[in-house]
Amino acid sequence: MKNFKSYTYILFAGLLAVASCKPEIVNKASFSAGSADFTRYISVGNSLTAGYADGGLYREGQLNSYPSIIAKQMAQVGGGAFTQPLFTEAQANGSGYLKLTGFDPATGSPITAPVTTGLAVTGQLTLPTSATTSVVVTTYTKYTGDNNNYGVPGIKLLQATTASYGNYNGYFDRLLTTSTPNNNVAYIDFVTAKPFTFFTDWLGNNDALGYATSGGAGDVLTDKATFTALYQATIAKLTATGAKGAVATIPDVTTIPYFTTVTYAAVLAGVKAKVPTITDLYIATPSEAIPVRKATASDLIVLTFPTSLMGSTTAGVGTYPYGLDPRNPIESKYVLDATEIANVKDYVTNYNNTIKTVAASKGLAVFDAFTFLTNVKANGLLVNGVSLNSGFISGGIFSLDGVHLTPRGYSVVANEFIKAINTTYGANVPLADVSAYSGVKFP
Amino acid sequence: MLLASVPAITFAQGFQVNLHGQKQIGMGHTGTGLLQDGASVLFNPGAVAMLPENYVQAGVSPLLFKSAFVPSGSNTQYDVANKVATPFTTYAVWGPKNSNFKFGMGVYTPFGGLTDWGNSWTGKYSLESLDLKAIYFQPTVSYKLTNRVSIGAGFVYNHASVNLKRAIPLSTSTSADGQAELDGGGHGFGWNAGVFVKASDKLTLGLNYRSQVNTTVKDGNAIFTVPSSVAANFPQPNTFTASIPLPSTTTLGIGFYPTNKWTVALDASYVNWDAYKELSFDYANNTATLQDTHSPRNYKNAVALRLGTEYKATNLLAVRLGGGYASTPVQDGYVTPEAPDANRVFFTAGLGYKAAKHLDLDLSFEYEDVLSRTQTNIESNLSGTFKTNVFIPGISLVYHW
Repeated sequence: MKNFKSYTYILFAGLLAVASCKPEIVNKASFSAGSADFTRYISVGNSLTAGYADGGLYREGQLNSYPSIIAKQMAQVGGGAFTQPLFTEAQANGSGYLKLTGFDPATGSPITAPVTTGLAVTGQLTLPTSATTSVVVTTYTKYTGDNNNYGVPGIKLLQATTASYGNYNGYFDRLLTTSTPNNNVAYIDFVTAKPFTFFTDWLGNNDALGYATSGGAGDVLTDKATFTALYQATIAKLTATGAKGAVATIPDVTTIPYFTTVTYAAVLAGVKAKVPTITDLYIATPSEAIPVRKATASDLIVLTFPTSLMGSTTAGVGTYPYGLDPRNPIESKYVLDATEIANVKDYVTNYNNTIKTVAASKGLAVFDAFTFLTNVKANGLLVNGVSLNSGFISGGIFSLDGVHLTPRGYSVVANEFIKAINTTYGANVPLADVSAYSGVKFP
Repeated sequence: MLLASVPAITFAQGFQVNLHGQKQIGMGHTGTGLLQDGASVLFNPGAVAMLPENYVQAGVSPLLFKSAFVPSGSNTQYDVANKVATPFTTYAVWGPKNSNFKFGMGVYTPFGGLTDWGNSWTGKYSLESLDLKAIYFQPTVSYKLTNRVSIGAGFVYNHASVNLKRAIPLSTSTSADGQAELDGGGHGFGWNAGVFVKASDKLTLGLNYRSQVNTTVKDGNAIFTVPSSVAANFPQPNTFTASIPLPSTTTLGIGFYPTNKWTVALDASYVNWDAYKELSFDYANNTATLQDTHSPRNYKNAVALRLGTEYKATNLLAVRLGGGYASTPVQDGYVTPEAPDANRVFFTAGLGYKAAKHLDLDLSFEYEDVLSRTQTNIESNLSGTFKTNVFIPGISLVYHW
């Protein structure tokens, strides 16, 4: 018995010793910042950079912005604190945003409602833009304190060097110590005022998107040469003190659900369901030679098009059924027609060549969002058992406005930036966990 | 509205559990060519008739499965929760005096899995937790043809249960994921047969074939918890049916006795996993979102080589050691978190103590090193490195007369 006991002790002492160790897989030493320095990372860009989602800028979107996700990962390899201009808890709904409230039982179409409480809106100001025109600027509660995320919804590269721009954009105004109409600092000067060691720059989307989302009717594409000059100037400014960084290209606007959800076929089918004899839809075009023509599947209708207008004799110019009669076509602002698509694609390709050329000349990392989102649209994206795609709501990447991203979409973007940074700077910044970020929220 | 199709629910592999008797575990799971105790009912029904006595015995081998996962490019390690599975064995062997017949009964757990990754890990949309149990009931008869050769066979009834949970990527307003739970029981049938040869005083041989047991879970509960606005896509209540072939195993065992105190044993097994081509879940109520799933498994056959030894240190005490190697049936691209399989090596030790004239107390311990495996799953794109350690202490009591 004595032998048995001592053997038993040996056996079970050994058992306890090994059972207490779990596998260790991570090699911490392999993670590093490489030749980059993330001590103070700043993010430069527009609404995508700010964390805009569901048609608004609000606290939860800000908390899931791709720069904040990148910064969390950078912090694991020596990155510094990353502070965002968050709306307060009390004003967490910021500008207001869209919420999904359900689906139409008959058509299955999503139903959204605006969130109108807990906003940070402080007022509206009418500013003249010329002798005869003016704009209404919505202003928000000022943000004071440290800031690393300079994303300003709505800003174009075209406006990044304009000192008066802060007067016309409430999101920029809220970051400034002065107030509209007395703001007098150009965006690029503002973001570079305090020293930084690393930047991401995703400016330029709105130079094409503003034109596209207004159906080519409400805005103009930034001139190609102007874009090139401004891109060179802003990157020169960002790299002037030796900071390294990453830039991103501009997605093909036709890859976003804002243009791919309300399709020609769907609208025609909706009309046919009521009036089976209808065979064609009519659209207004920018062409002076052919101002009205039959729509085709190559024409993209915007997500915000109210399909209830179809056939109305009071909509548009009235009298004739809207969209069904050449005398009362679907207005140009709702349609990015084939010509306009070709036009915007040509500009975006040119912008992206500029971005890649300038980035290469400065040795910057490039996240090719154009190629990435084109691939997602064509093939979807399977991450950790989640099937993501470019579809509206069901796709998981795009938020309810069809342009901006969900937290999950922003985490995918953050990882693409990180991969580009790792490649360019010999770094190994750990990737974020896409599963931990949510897609569209369902009631 | 069409939601993203639900990724196939998979459940998998490597969940063969070889813990069939403490004496045998201590010797590296060998026993097909030996006459140790009532565990021969499982190891080799052909050997039962040669057993010198009658036996009633029971054992348990609490199993701690420590699995970890690190996604590609990440420095975050996810560990399974500490949960203890309890594979058990009970055997009875009896034969009339001076008869060439012996009868046996075995109740044991040759397949199972208990893996709990939790609901916040990166692979939650593949799997949160799996609890799979298969209990085999095996009545057995064995006949001694000559003093050197005996044969035997048993009928196998499998009672199986499965509970599988995973997240569905549909967020509620509070960002909580939807949940899928599949819970059901099923059964299957098979057989177990073998032959045993006493070649000489120094050498015994055994050959054993345990058949495939096709096990079907019918009308299990398929419980989906999703936001109410999309609940119509996941009709409730709902049931599922799934089948899995638990593979056949062929084992050749050799016992060698250099002295009367010393036994050396070798078992070589061939496991016909290639019967496992795909795993399908058939839901009673389908929708455009909730389709039946057909997941390719494409397992390949696997081998295990086991070596063990026992030394009778005193009349009362036996010391055992063993070890071996088992190849994985899971091909590259098919590794899933259910039982993240890889080739494995294992080491075992055991003690046998004669507690009374008719009573053996046996202790066993096993450590399995499931080798690290870096994989991208072809179905989920879950990409990263799995590593698993398994710790299995065990104890049994054998009453013999």
